[in-house]
Amino acid sequence: MTVKRREFLKVIGAGTATVASVGCGTGEVERLIPYLISPDETVPGVSNYYATTCRECSAACGVLAETRDGRVIKLEGNPEHPLSRGAICARGQSAVQGLYNPDRFRTPMVRRNGALERVTWEQALQLFAQKLGEARASGRAGSAVFINQHESGSFPAFLDSWLGALGMPPHISFDAQSDFAAIAANRQSYGVSWPRYDFKAARVVVSFGADFLDGWGPSVVQQLDWAEARADHAHAPRLIYVGPRRSLTGLNADEWIACKPGSQLIIAQMLAGQASVAAAATASGVAAAQLSNLQRDFSSLRPNLALAGGTGPRAMQLALAVNALNQGNAGSTVRVDEAVTAYDGIDSPAIARAAIERMRAGTVPILFVRGANPVHAFGKAARVAEAIGRVPFKVSFSSVPDETTELCDLILPDNHSLESWGDAAPVRGMVGLQQPAMEPVFDTRATADVLLELSRRNPTTAAQAPAGGYRNWLISRFPGGARELTAAMPAGITQGTIGTRAARAGVTVTPSAPIESTTGDLYLMLYQHPLLADGRGANKPWLQELPDPVTKICWQSVAEIHPRTAERMGVENGDLLTVATGAGSLTLPALVYLGVRDDTVAIATGRGRVGAGRYARSGLNALDLLPANASDSSGGIAYVTTKARVTKAGGHHEIVTTEGSARQHGRGIARAVAAGSLGQAHAPAPAAAHGAAEEGHHEDGHVVPEMAGAASREFLPGLRAPVANDAQGDLGDPNSNDKGMYHPDHWSGMAKRRWAMTIDLARCTGCSACVTACYAENNIPTVGGEWQGGKIFPDRTGFGANILRSREMAWIRLERYFEGGLDGGTDFETRFIPMMCQHCGNAPCEPVCPVYATYHAPDGLNVQVYNRCVGTRYCSNNCPYKVRYFNWFGYGEPNRPHYAFPEPLNWQLNPDVTVRGKGVMEKCTFCVQRIREAEHRASSEKRPLQADEFTTACAQACPSRAITFGDAADSSWAVTKLIDDERAYHVFEELNTYTAVVYLKKVNHPREGAASAATGPTPTAGAAPQAGH
Amino acid sequence: MKLRRQWAAVPAFLTLAALATIVSAYSGASSSAGNSPTQPVRFPHPVHVQTLKMNCLYCHFAANKSPDPGMPAMSTCMGCHTIVGAGKPEIQKLAGYWNRQQPVPWVRIHKLPEYVKFPHMRHVGGGVSCQTCHGDVQNMQQVSQANSLGMGWCVSCHIGQSNPPLRARYDCATCHY
Repeated sequence: MTVKRREFLKVIGAGTATVASVGCGTGEVERLIPYLISPDETVPGVSNYYATTCRECSAACGVLAETRDGRVIKLEGNPEHPLSRGAICARGQSAVQGLYNPDRFRTPMVRRNGALERVTWEQALQLFAQKLGEARASGRAGSAVFINQHESGSFPAFLDSWLGALGMPPHISFDAQSDFAAIAANRQSYGVSWPRYDFKAARVVVSFGADFLDGWGPSVVQQLDWAEARADHAHAPRLIYVGPRRSLTGLNADEWIACKPGSQLIIAQMLAGQASVAAAATASGVAAAQLSNLQRDFSSLRPNLALAGGTGPRAMQLALAVNALNQGNAGSTVRVDEAVTAYDGIDSPAIARAAIERMRAGTVPILFVRGANPVHAFGKAARVAEAIGRVPFKVSFSSVPDETTELCDLILPDNHSLESWGDAAPVRGMVGLQQPAMEPVFDTRATADVLLELSRRNPTTAAQAPAGGYRNWLISRFPGGARELTAAMPAGITQGTIGTRAARAGVTVTPSAPIESTTGDLYLMLYQHPLLADGRGANKPWLQELPDPVTKICWQSVAEIHPRTAERMGVENGDLLTVATGAGSLTLPALVYLGVRDDTVAIATGRGRVGAGRYARSGLNALDLLPANASDSSGGIAYVTTKARVTKAGGHHEIVTTEGSARQHGRGIARAVAAGSLGQAHAPAPAAAHGAAEEGHHEDGHVVPEMAGAASREFLPGLRAPVANDAQGDLGDPNSNDKGMYHPDHWSGMAKRRWAMTIDLARCTGCSACVTACYAENNIPTVGGEWQGGKIFPDRTGFGANILRSREMAWIRLERYFEGGLDGGTDFETRFIPMMCQHCGNAPCEPVCPVYATYHAPDGLNVQVYNRCVGTRYCSNNCPYKVRYFNWFGYGEPNRPHYAFPEPLNWQLNPDVTVRGKGVMEKCTFCVQRIREAEHRASSEKRPLQADEFTTACAQACPSRAITFGDAADSSWAVTKLIDDERAYHVFEELNTYTAVVYLKKVNHPREGAASAATGPTPTAGAAPQAGH
Repeated sequence: MKLRRQWAAVPAFLTLAALATIVSAYSGASSSAGNSPTQPVRFPHPVHVQTLKMNCLYCHFAANKSPDPGMPAMSTCMGCHTIVGAGKPEIQKLAGYWNRQQPVPWVRIHKLPEYVKFPHMRHVGGGVSCQTCHGDVQNMQQVSQANSLGMGWCVSCHIGQSNPPLRARYDCATCHY
């Protein structure tokens, strides 16, 4: 008699259970609490979606807020929005973590004897009215200052009219994140703040540090446009990035011109014919040959497009010079008529600086701030806090603590944008609508309503104050009134224009001295973090835990230096460096990064914030190094203005990263193909398809051979695995013909499906929006860089639940691999590849599970059953893709010290997805809850599931439209066409895993007529010449 | 002597534990079937269902369109009971909650084990009567749990062993995710 493994375990298990189960049972009484009055259109357990506007950056994308039983649980892109077209970035996703942020102000606060105390709204409003009255009575109201975080729409004009009625000057519209030099230059060159760039029309795009995929302008919009342009491989524009550091946009470029900081201007002048190639080469430290190639390409490949990002003292001149290069492109690659209006009305930061100087002089009687954070934005050396301290009365409308609010005397917390009425002007001729998706979480009030209430209380302004709140004010101005607004609301966007406020005329600014005139060992390049931006995302754990798309660092600040610099200094990854400027110094670990010049050290801003909440403290504040008055001639904050002294500090700190290796080591995970070799193979025959020139994994001096056989293209429905019988339990009796639900003709039809996914690496930019979307959808906990429990809960102690110990839980890992550049050269290529559970047809994890917790479902899903899982981790050991994540601690259990969702962050948890407990393995489920929801909906409507009627959270969010999900066994789904693409491949196909995730190779665009090193050799059998090593 | 008594406790405990388990398993006490707590307001289903012929969906309004059957809002109760039976002590209790603008904290009886999804609308839409799972609620003066809600009990219907035979998917990820 043979005892089957599972039966043996059953017996053992039963024996243990008899002992263990005694005394179990919670005995807890659960209550069912009904509504008093059921809200209209609400069905418990079914989501409602409210179209509204994202306010995480100035771009004002359209979003749909999914609410369940009165709580927002997720944001998705609004497909009807003309700009964002259904996509949403990581920062937009994280808006819900701002809404449910545990550090939000719960009530109004007043400073008494130096400490903030909670007060009621009535008390706060009385104090506000009294202080305002005093300022007006003293005749100094005209010197009041209101600094507002820039937002487009009616609110700025509303605010100015409120201020004007009380005799106060218009507010200052402040946005530390937006690239003001570019905006100011655009206003001068094109008459608009931000034109729409048509990448599709361009043949070559030259970016002078313009990170259009990660923060320079409306990133989601530009990313969508860029991905669409690049998806047409034969006519895709080639991207050349000019700058001292490769940002995410830089890594997506086909060529990097690594110029010295501040030397972009002379390269732009060279392209305009105002400087010689030799002069540009000398000034920029770039080989003359590369520059003359640039010159040739830029003039011969038309239409072209040049973009400028401003971070240095001469950013304004650069932006103007670059806009002049686009002179012939008006109407083709530069669309002024489709201008993005979201940046209209942003004032020069110099105006805020001037106001701060007036505060320092003691002439400002009262200061209001709302959302803006000048104390942090201008850096420590600007001594803004000291100046604000001289204002007798300071009011903050911020809903979260920050460095400026910390200094205020009265805090009147604003509603979160998801709790507020409003509107936005994202693009010319369109009005984006903003409506509350839920009742306020805390005792907060919309600032507009507070201001109206104050007007009502003042006898002189009471007559002008409109009845009702800000909502009524919006309705009164909306063409067609309440009825039209109600009709337009479900779409979230409508045609029309709203009276926007014009930006104030700039002030004359003395820019910082050229970087060459400063002293130091290395150029210091501060740059805005692509996720945390200027620091406003810092208190959102999703954004802290999401690895930086470029450096793959989480929760930590590092100093990026080139491998040659590291070698020269005798520094390895993690060795502490002291970076000092005239403004201050920081000691932080070194990160050796190929994408930064060897005379430059780069540090991201956004971390190390004090007074901004429990998560924001991680890392160091790079702005401590920013010199006072670091500015370009437009008044924009100039992040690259000085050299720094860089010395070894001694000591070492581990790098907090999720990355194992930045190299593929010949594994052929992320593959690429040259654009020119596409279409030559006669797809889709499997053998021929791989005839296209295979690039890349030539690192180890060999080429990964293609597997013979037909596995690549066959997506047979049902089960493919040899463990099929085992997976079918009792029905899998080898002597039985009954295959149960695994039989294609089974009445349930389950085995007729094969859920599958394609990821187009030619579109993927590595932005990581998919990762955050997955966190939001699937209740994935953050674990912290180091031990995070002590930071979240001061009363709890513990150890070890952290990324340093590889305990991250992200179901999607955005892998970033470098190809070439082993000699430290600039011509390396980067490949991004989102890696999640591949839902293998022949999954290595399944047969090793002793308790049948992971198995293969008839519809092709590799299922993880949490309540069967006992945590042996055999599956994770056996997974070649390393996409299974184990709950080492009770991240999902409120009474454990490692709980990751302190109240009210837990309000965001998706009720359709299990919150996993300690000791359980988890992984990507292909959003099985969405599959089931769609099946339920189809069943309720008595119809079959429609092709492409739903998708996964990652695919929904993706701003490059790289991810497609569907039923690979039904040709009406879009995914089936992509699977037949000649670029399709499976990762680790040689393992016979029959994965359900199909990647489409990245498409490279080498310079025409020149084989760059990154292009690599063509893998002809037996003769693979290796370049560069 | 003291030591020996201590050691004797171990097998004694194990025996006791095993016994308790066996007894509880056979008596069905480990499942919550039969659970019938006293509710804050005594709500008689028989009067509403049998005498007044009210449909289950009148109050449990989402059972055919949501995974969650829905508990009636207080306003639903008060729609009738502002007038009907206003003098009765239990109705006065109800009215007391309403006047204080408090929801009645009903005690939950039917609670599935963790990690299981039970979409009500699929069952109601698929012709499973409420009574199949909840028992003859129309006859219960005080609702009690009629079935174990254990997985074996679920699966018996899903694989067609119910009377009349029904069928549904029995793949794990149908319910567990």
